[in-house]
Amino acid sequence: MTNEKYYDIVVIGAGAIGTSVAYHLAKEGYKTALLERGDIASGSSSHCDAVAVICDKLPGLDTKMGQASIDYFGKLAKEFDYDFEYTPKGCLYVCETEPEFAAASKYCEAQQKDGYKMRMIDSRELSEMEPHISKDLYGALYTPPESSVAVNPYRLCFAFTYEAEKFGLEKYTYCKITKINLNDKTNAVESLETNYGTIHTKRIVNCAGAWAPFVGKLTGLSIPIEPRKGTNLVSEQTPRLCNNKIMEYGYMMSKFDSINFKRKVSKLVEDQNIAFNLEYTNSNNLLVGGNRLFRGYDIRTEIETVKAICERAMRFFPELANIKCIRTYSGVRPFVKDHLPIVSDVDSIPGYYIAAGHEGDGICLSPITGKFMAEIVAGRPTDFDISKLDFKRFA
Amino acid sequence: MSEALADDMLVCRCEEVTVGDIKKAIRDGARDVVGVKRRTRAGMGLCQGRTCEKLVQQIISKELGVPASETGTSSVRPPVRPVTFGELAKGDVEDD
Ligand SMILES: Cc1cc2nc3c(=O)[nH]c(=O)nc-3n(C[C@H](O)[C@H](O)[C@H](O)COP(=O)(O)OP(=O)(O)OC[C@H]3O[C@@H](n4cnc5c(N)ncnc54)[C@H](O)[C@@H]3O)c2cc1C
Repeated sequence: MTNEKYYDIVVIGAGAIGTSVAYHLAKEGYKTALLERGDIASGSSSHCDAVAVICDKLPGLDTKMGQASIDYFGKLAKEFDYDFEYTPKGCLYVCETEPEFAAASKYCEAQQKDGYKMRMIDSRELSEMEPHISKDLYGALYTPPESSVAVNPYRLCFAFTYEAEKFGLEKYTYCKITKINLNDKTNAVESLETNYGTIHTKRIVNCAGAWAPFVGKLTGLSIPIEPRKGTNLVSEQTPRLCNNKIMEYGYMMSKFDSINFKRKVSKLVEDQNIAFNLEYTNSNNLLVGGNRLFRGYDIRTEIETVKAICERAMRFFPELANIKCIRTYSGVRPFVKDHLPIVSDVDSIPGYYIAAGHEGDGICLSPITGKFMAEIVAGRPTDFDISKLDFKRFA
Repeated sequence: MSEALADDMLVCRCEEVTVGDIKKAIRDGARDVVGVKRRTRAGMGLCQGRTCEKLVQQIISKELGVPASETGTSSVRPPVRPVTFGELAKGDVEDD
């Protein structure tokens, strides 16, 4: 009996991206293996919240990919037997002040011009939609459920895996990859050495998210992804405090360095780079976030962050003061400097592909990323031009 | 010990998860308390697994033939007891 295994393609990493890529490849007919160093969904995709919206994306490619993915989620929710708790719900980007409202209006206009259904609402309509929100807010940017949905992120990973197994996917969890062998002459992918033995394949897809650089190193590739930490607080089950996903427009500020608003916030909130967001889950808990910090791979929750999130959240929803927090968690986003993921082949290593670096959008963009990767591997043109996501841009 | 546990017995009362649900999660690939939790919600309720975690560990131990001590624990995430957002903002949390 030999311990050697043969696959058309091997996907490394079983987060939202890797499981979606594996699903699309298996469905395409490739004999596919999914290698994960821990359990399915043990990385960022179980340490996040999971809204898929277009209103946190720049007009253009970013938004186009977001909407395509959101539409695709609806289709998958109908097709899949495994329930990933797909829930369309509107999103409100709340503006505290007139200048924020003006900036949001400009953004809204640009998106409307491209055909997306967003609109600005005044403070009266805001308090009708959200009876529990502070009354002194200026207004909000509203995105309807057509462009704003939520899913359960780790159930999504289980769902992609479960559905892919119907097309013959084989999974290797708790898998340690010690070596990736390349051909001496062509530098092409040949095999991987693992605790399950040698796995032969001519193609691998690096979907290791924030850890993609470490997988890259195994073949001398330098992949410019950094971990960017975020923290969420979970409340006890409560009567519904909000009807939509709520974010503050200042969130944009921390997401795109190019947009520079001055918020009137405490030093603690500023230092912790807090971007308030609130949503209720299917189990009637509230998720309260969030922030963005560079802290390496340390995902222990910091008490200063917790304090700052609570302070900021109560500014928008004062009733939170008397609601109990039952848990906190932190995770890392796979951050790329230009805020675009890498979905690409790699010129220097034939058979090497990368789908990683989705920062705060990896759940949202997972369906479309899997589809793109299957098209790239099959050598077909992608639905729309994604040359901006090419690994070449770092050369 | 879990020999005696019927599949329809409730393990996690907060989230109404049964022995059978947990065995199925293990068949689906869960190897530890967190893996079971993500597949079944066991330990995600108000008590955060304080009541059921030991039992979940025992079931995993029995099903996979590993010592209960190697079945992990649901990582302790502050706050250690439920505290209001108001108290947390002021920093009123016990050190732990
Ligand atoms: C607080 C917070 C809130 C967020 N909110 C949202 C949101 O609302 N919407 C949204 O779309 N996104 C959100 N995100 C971002 C989202 O979590 C990530 O973009 C997404 O999870 C990335 O998915 P991934 O599959 O690339 O990475 P991961 O889920 O991390 O998957 C990578 C996998 O690779 C495995 N791995 C690593 N190294 C190896 C190796 N050597 N061998 C084998 N396997 C390996 C890891 O164990 C891991 O399971 C949020 C993130 C945070 C932290």
